Amino acid sequence: MIYALTVPTGIEDVEDVRVLEWAKQIGDEFGKGDLLVELETHKALVEIRAGRPAVLRKILCGAGSWQAVGKPLAILSDDTTESLPDSAFDLPGLAVDFEVS
Amino acid sequence: MNRRDHGFQLLSSGQEAVAVGVCAALSKHDQLLTSGRSIGPALARGLTPASVMAELLGKVAGPNRGRAGRGHMALPSAGFFGAHAVVGGNLTIAAGVALAFHLERRPAVVVCLFGDGACGSGALHETLNLAALWHLPLLFVCDNNRISVSTPSEKALAPSPLSELAKPFGLPAITVDGMDVLAVRQAATELVAGARAGKGAGFLECLSERFSSHSTSTLESRAKEDVAALRSRCPIAALKQTLVVRGDLDEYGLSALEAEVRSAVKYAVNFADASDFPDPEEALFDVL
Amino acid sequence: MSFETKSKAERIFFREAIARAVSEEMIRDDRLVLIGQDVGAFGGSYKEFVGLFDRFGPSRVRDTPVAEASMVGLGVGLAAAGMRAIVSVTYMDFLMLGLDPLVNYAAKARFKTAGQITAPLVVKTTSGARGQGVAHSQCIEAWLMAVPGLRVVSPSNPADAYGLMKSAIRSDGPVLYIDHKRLFPIAGELSDQSDAVPIGVAKTSRHGQHVTITAHSYMVRVALEAAERLAATGISSEVIDLRSLSPLDIDAIVKSVARTGALVTLEEGQLTCGIGAEIAYQVRERIDGVRIARVGAKAAPVSSNPILESACLPDAVRLLESVKDVLNTR
Repeated sequence: MIYALTVPTGIEDVEDVRVLEWAKQIGDEFGKGDLLVELETHKALVEIRAGRPAVLRKILCGAGSWQAVGKPLAILSDDTTESLPDSAFDLPGLAVDFEVS
Repeated sequence: MNRRDHGFQLLSSGQEAVAVGVCAALSKHDQLLTSGRSIGPALARGLTPASVMAELLGKVAGPNRGRAGRGHMALPSAGFFGAHAVVGGNLTIAAGVALAFHLERRPAVVVCLFGDGACGSGALHETLNLAALWHLPLLFVCDNNRISVSTPSEKALAPSPLSELAKPFGLPAITVDGMDVLAVRQAATELVAGARAGKGAGFLECLSERFSSHSTSTLESRAKEDVAALRSRCPIAALKQTLVVRGDLDEYGLSALEAEVRSAVKYAVNFADASDFPDPEEALFDVL
Repeated sequence: MSFETKSKAERIFFREAIARAVSEEMIRDDRLVLIGQDVGAFGGSYKEFVGLFDRFGPSRVRDTPVAEASMVGLGVGLAAAGMRAIVSVTYMDFLMLGLDPLVNYAAKARFKTAGQITAPLVVKTTSGARGQGVAHSQCIEAWLMAVPGLRVVSPSNPADAYGLMKSAIRSDGPVLYIDHKRLFPIAGELSDQSDAVPIGVAKTSRHGQHVTITAHSYMVRVALEAAERLAATGISSEVIDLRSLSPLDIDAIVKSVARTGALVTLEEGQLTCGIGAEIAYQVRERIDGVRIARVGAKAAPVSSNPILESACLPDAVRLLESVKDVLNTR
């Protein structure tokens, strides 16, 4: 299955986020609980951790770029063989945990 | 001076020793801020009687072109940062000036003169706290004439003496006889030296007497005979006596001084009278 | 041959625009000092001063106790003594505690001393309702617009937050700089050519023909949202972002209203003696036959309760209804 990693909607009082740093590279496999990416909101840092294992396939928003809440940051899949769609629109979201500090 | 055009004035009569004693401890680089009872302090700080009179009468020859009057007179170049007519209103400003001196490492001190009337204000508490916290070169001088318009200080203020107000903040605090100019000068000199040496702020309470009512427009609330009796404590007369007894002043010297004073006052009044009022359009100058 | 460097724009948070402006000005003028609660290591209540403490140190970036009267007084005294100061008052509601040194001293200093003393300082404060209750929600800028000797500015986006802060710092008298809690989550573009935004100059955020909407601060975003919705119904709105409340750019407003013929003023503050009342009257003095309406908060304290808060505040729907009313009575 192909998933989209989107900016979590549960973070209080946030419209736009800035991507600080990706912890994984394209092709990396990761497990549940692994740190995927660090985001910056107007008042806090947010660590996004994977809610399930998957493979990072495509980064849509690189470090330093911006994205709105609910919108896609990257495309992931269960394994590396699945071919990717053209857009992240309509993809199911990857379950994540996030920590605000 | 009893003229109809003299405006709303707060006189320093009876409180001269506080102004003179404190100013005698200051150097030309220091700054003095006062309350609305500013005439004595302005003169003691070195503003000429003529320019002060002009300012009081609203003439352009005053240091602030007649706009400030007694309540807001200022001449920072003379070390007189100025009066502010809001009771206690100059305290936080004085702290800011002291902080500037501290940041610029100037060996200069800021003195803020206020009355017992300001001792109930939150601004005093806040300023004492900051002065103590940041070791500001700030001398708090409370000219305590024991009455605020009609309210005796014991009815308005719990602490006694008022120098106790500084103690919770760990500041050196002294109470002196405000009718004795030499005692005021000595205490002020000690605290100013400490501030200048980087030891931080201090509090000087001077016990004085107000010889007149609160202002030229305010009725006297005290009993007539009590007020009259205060004159026997005149600080100027006391200093005269001290100097005569010490042999530093004889009758010739005294006459010469008195003539000089009369002449200076006469000159000041004539100067101010001859000076112009501002054009009404000045009401809109220097606003922004 | 001309060499034109294409200016690069960077997207930044509202708070970063403030930090950047203050940082640049603190480099430019080493007399500039920032004081307030939590401005030091904490980086500001809204993180709008992050980095300044590390860069400029505790002397120039000073935490104060919770004491607004002396905080503002300190800033005024610093400025009057020849330095420059920014005083940060976390909530506009608490500015009231510091009004004596700001209004009675700073705003009057130049006039009362005939120029012997001036007080070039910025008092920066944050207004607006966002679930924090009756004493943490107020927009009282209209009160301060009426003080002779005091400039009042209010940005609605990061670029103006940056530009107005620079202008405020460089001013030769006291400036009240008011931002809004709801502006901090937003991001916006700041170009590397960005510079000070002049005080007293409004900006047209959206051009239109049928109605002029004036707004400032967070309400500019509400106005733009309403304008978008109105456009779908065939009504073209011109939105003017005031940016400065005092001096007010009445010429820009009049120029717009002369074309559109209709004016709706929008503010989050009270309508009584409000910004809209002032604008409406000044416009009427200059142009005849204009339809005018004012939109503002209801005359009640704003509770932290979201239902009650929402019932009090103007929003895009209330604004567009007002626009429609104004245009229907033409």
